[in-house]
Amino acid sequence: MLNDLLVAFQAVATLENFLIMAAGIWGGVIIGAIPGMTGTMAVTLALPFTFYMQPIPSILLLVALYKGSTYGGSVSAILIKTPGTASAACTTLDGYPLAQQGKAGKALNMALYSSCTGDFISNLSLIFIAAPLALLALRIGPPEYFMLMIFALTTVAGVSGRSLLLGLVSACLGLLLATVGEDMYGSFRFDLTMDMQSGLAVAPVLIGLFAIPELLKIIVFRNNQSHKPMQLGDNHVTRDELRRSLKAMLKGSMIGVVMGAIPGIGPSAAAFSSYGEAQRSSKNRENFGKGELEGIAASESANNGCCGSTMIPLLALGVPGDVITGVMLGAFMIHGMTPGPMLFENNLNEVYMLFIGMLFSSVLLFGAGKATMRFFSHISRIPPGLMAPIVLALCVFGIFSISNSMYDVIVLLAMGIFGFFMFLFAIPAAPFLIAFILGPMLEENLRRALALSRGDPSILVSSPITWLFASLAIFVVVVTIRQQLKKAKA
Amino acid sequence: MGITRGLVITVLFGIVLFLLIPAYVPRPRFIPGFAPPPDMWPRTVSMFGMALGILLVGLSFSRKTESIADPEDASAIRGDTPLVALLTRFGWTVLAFALFIGSVMLLGFLLSSILLLMAMLILTGYWRHKVVAAIVAVALPLVLYLFFSSALNTRFPVGSLLKAIGI
Repeated sequence: MLNDLLVAFQAVATLENFLIMAAGIWGGVIIGAIPGMTGTMAVTLALPFTFYMQPIPSILLLVALYKGSTYGGSVSAILIKTPGTASAACTTLDGYPLAQQGKAGKALNMALYSSCTGDFISNLSLIFIAAPLALLALRIGPPEYFMLMIFALTTVAGVSGRSLLLGLVSACLGLLLATVGEDMYGSFRFDLTMDMQSGLAVAPVLIGLFAIPELLKIIVFRNNQSHKPMQLGDNHVTRDELRRSLKAMLKGSMIGVVMGAIPGIGPSAAAFSSYGEAQRSSKNRENFGKGELEGIAASESANNGCCGSTMIPLLALGVPGDVITGVMLGAFMIHGMTPGPMLFENNLNEVYMLFIGMLFSSVLLFGAGKATMRFFSHISRIPPGLMAPIVLALCVFGIFSISNSMYDVIVLLAMGIFGFFMFLFAIPAAPFLIAFILGPMLEENLRRALALSRGDPSILVSSPITWLFASLAIFVVVVTIRQQLKKAKA
Repeated sequence: MGITRGLVITVLFGIVLFLLIPAYVPRPRFIPGFAPPPDMWPRTVSMFGMALGILLVGLSFSRKTESIADPEDASAIRGDTPLVALLTRFGWTVLAFALFIGSVMLLGFLLSSILLLMAMLILTGYWRHKVVAAIVAVALPLVLYLFFSSALNTRFPVGSLLKAIGI
């Protein structure tokens, strides 16, 4: 393995790859710093560009955007009390009070140190856990895969909204939309027009569902927020402050790694869990919420700690844990690589190159964060009323360029309107997208399993692994319902 | 909100199950081996979706379970803005999208995009900063057009009207 990693190191360490990763990190930080623009949007907007790139640089670009945006979310959280991404919401609690005290630079620096630490630890966990997990995954067949995907979908549906039922409705809509076009045996389904025979492409559906509803929200509800950026002020984090926050940082990183590796949990939950744990175990717990650096360290190390580990289920099992890894799954497929255990057999060099690239990107994140810190306060001034139409133009041009067809642009805009209705009905978008991406694989594995068993559905619960995933799915449903009933009573 | 949402979901999946699947998912005359037919999966998902919709309606009737089916208060999203104003804004946006799609073949991709961007800037309320908005509306599509057509060799529609007048 070490030898393979060294070979991959040489292959990745090119100027072109560094420039791509630096551009991704920098772009991600800027997008993450703009309120309303999320890491998901950054990654989905970049997807059309990756069509023209080599496989590994394109995945590295998406990973860099993801990492950059996760850190970038903390910038507007600290400077203007508006988290750029949901996972940075926790950083606002202590970041903004520090900014008000004239210590915005200190808060930003602590956020950067913690993000890089969490990110690096997460990448190491990916390198050492993904391959053994993939070896184990080689032993599982269509029924086990089907149950695994059901478990992943249930988890995503349960945690990405306020209601499990609405999450499941969202997943059903995604699964249904994924059936449009030609199926595995060559039958056409829902081909209302000739264009629909080829199905719906991943990119316009993803981008339409995430970017366009934001524009519609701004237009319909006119929720333009006023922005008053802070000065950076006191920049330096002392050695004592760093030492004091180290425990929260390391603990947060580990929480991020564990929660990132479980499909559907994601960085927001990790950040809040880590923050809660840091507050519980800190000597300065009374300062939390008033401008405590430990709070920022806990929150930021946990949300970036998810970045690498969220790739573990994707690479080892072919199951995306969240929307961003869902988009990455699409990018892998575009370049003829199918994430899952076979990826480690067929594309081992590319996997190791990806690992090394991810380690490099942690270092680049530090450099980019340091170099552009002062610039951020200007970027976060762009009002949403101007930003949203700009994003629309980027989407329309980017999507058209993929297939030189207006059909994809129509799908983009239609999905945007559909996504807006989903927002109005409080139906979460994440289960829809994960289901849309997993849908074809889910159906294929189900139909294969049923074909193997000559139509007997008991094959789906015939092995210990299928039982394990089925039990986990039921456990998630029961726990979620219990939590929601508790909330309802309260 | 909970009852309406449940009904909308039930009707949506019902339309798919009873109208779209019979019409647009034909069963082939020959299916190899014991493979399930192509309509098996969409039918299963639609039935599950319909059941969820009915469950949402059912839960909305009881005060104890209402918050599970209806976690979001629609009025909180809407604020004090009258419904007519919201619908008008939404209608204008959809109309702008439709006109953009319709005008691409006539005016070309670039000009249509400039008009779409102008419409969006008006609708978001940013058009009051006329100079900045006008620069963005014209310059951004132009830069993107040049980038995609020269760097990535994308062939954007020129537009029959512009072709006819020799542009």
